[in-house]
Amino acid sequence: METVALMSDRQIETDVIAACQRGDREAFRLLFETYKDRVYSIALYFFGGNEAQASDITQQVFLKLFTKIGQFRSEAEFTTWLYRLTTNACVDEQRKVRRLSQLEETFMADEVRVAEAQEAGLARRETAARVKSAVAELKPKLRVAILLKYFEGLSYEEMAAALGCSKGTVASRLNRGHKALARRLQDLRGLLQQGD
Amino acid sequence: MFRQHVRKNLTAYCHDELAPVEARRIAEHILVCQRCRSEYEAIKLGVALMRELPAAHAPETIWPQLEAALAQQTEQASSDATQATTEQSRPVHIADTQATAHTTRRFALFASWPRVAAVSCAALVVACLVGGWYYLRPDAPSWEVARLAGAPQIGRERIGERGQLAVGEWLETDNNSRAQISVAHIGEVEVEPQTRIRLVETRPTEHRLELARGTMHARIWAPPRLFFVDTPSAVAADLGCAYTLEVDDHGRGLLHVTTGYVALERGARESIVPAGAACATAPGTGPGTPFFEDASDDFLHALAAFDFKQGGDTALKTVLTEARVRDTLTLWHLLPRVDGDERARVYERLAQLSPPPEGVTRDGVLRLDEQMLKQWKDELENRWLPESFPAVRKAWRNLWQ
Ligand SMILES: [Zn+2]
Repeated sequence: METVALMSDRQIETDVIAACQRGDREAFRLLFETYKDRVYSIALYFFGGNEAQASDITQQVFLKLFTKIGQFRSEAEFTTWLYRLTTNACVDEQRKVRRLSQLEETFMADEVRVAEAQEAGLARRETAARVKSAVAELKPKLRVAILLKYFEGLSYEEMAAALGCSKGTVASRLNRGHKALARRLQDLRGLLQQGD
Repeated sequence: MFRQHVRKNLTAYCHDELAPVEARRIAEHILVCQRCRSEYEAIKLGVALMRELPAAHAPETIWPQLEAALAQQTEQASSDATQATTEQSRPVHIADTQATAHTTRRFALFASWPRVAAVSCAALVVACLVGGWYYLRPDAPSWEVARLAGAPQIGRERIGERGQLAVGEWLETDNNSRAQISVAHIGEVEVEPQTRIRLVETRPTEHRLELARGTMHARIWAPPRLFFVDTPSAVAADLGCAYTLEVDDHGRGLLHVTTGYVALERGARESIVPAGAACATAPGTGPGTPFFEDASDDFLHALAAFDFKQGGDTALKTVLTEARVRDTLTLWHLLPRVDGDERARVYERLAQLSPPPEGVTRDGVLRLDEQMLKQWKDELENRWLPESFPAVRKAWRNLWQ
């Protein structure tokens, strides 16, 4: 029963992509609606909560996706391709504006932190704001791996395909990323445990 | 067991990426290896932190901008008719949107795209199906259930030899049924007849069952505080152990621990129950005071009266008189639960049975100095655990924070 359902899901996905390849507007809109929030979330947290940059990246990714969908071979996993586009777009953008954006990120993140912390009693939001800025301070490779994991729920194998590296590398980047976060946000430990 | 550290695989362990055998090896290793365990704690914190980040919603403005950008691109492509453009596509900023509004309208029809007819009905049908698929795709996680006897039910369905208990589902056994639940890759729970139990949550950093009524036996080989059982009046937090938990129709519970430690908690009230000990819990009161099952009958009756029946001073007097050295488990737990003169009397009896270590003062204990209480507990603990398992005792000691 489950196997049948999975097969037909894949069939449907292939159908939508085929419709996109024929230039079907509804199919494009559908793909966009399905994946936009996940692409946007990755970009948003990659750039420390910078919404304008996240919108730009999201647009860039789908623009590339739609213009190149003709080249997409259906045997390759669509999501792998999409997330490869997303991570490349983030990392490239970061490279371009490294110096400037690092300053900006820190500044932005602090601003968000203060603004959100001011909303009295919302400890959870404060936590999220601090996690957000700690994520933005991770090395780009660790950052992108962590965001792919949490906003796409990809397996290590899918992540390896999207990032173009081995599963071992995925595991080691995630290890380092999580430890770095824990180190920076050590003081939130008690808060999180109480919440559960 | 110590030879191979597991630090490289800890994130994969938290993300459930490992084969069961490997996951179990890691669970067992971090139980005994301090270094790997503190690393695991850090990664577990990282995982918990990441889950605090909410998913964001892409603003509505992106789609119209995207349409405009695509239109621009196709327009350029057709004016450059002989040569394909290789230029990188650039996003259009919000400010640019109005300027390109006319192209947007034109583009909306995707007129210049190859082989575009009107939107087909077929594509719309596909749209709905994919929509459904997208929302259904994240499978509710589930645990495997094996039938041990009779006809256990999940929801309203009887299971065959095996079944799956998904998050939110109830497993029920009647008079003649028993079942065994595999707790992710960290342990097993045996469910006795006339029991109602629900899978509340299962994620790498927390597994939780709710025992509404009946009896369950748990054997858990995971690191501490990964497996929890909610009962109507307290939560049992596993600290790496084997135990039995019973809940009656009034929501009262009784916990017996066979190996290791279990913490029974409600709010700030916590009872630490080591192997050989038990602890009752009742609605309204929460966890009672833990006790060793081999204590005298008078001691046990008096303690029950003190905890749950307003036995007051008379009950306390009997508890103190009847206490043996091992029952310092009970007395130590009583310290913060009584005050004034009563606390002083508990202190005197405790000090008489097992004098406080150096640095722990009467005044400190009476004002419930956390550090001193812990220091004394560490000392007393030697009296609580079976003499025959020094190595095990050492491992548990490390776990108990
Ligand atoms: Zn180790």
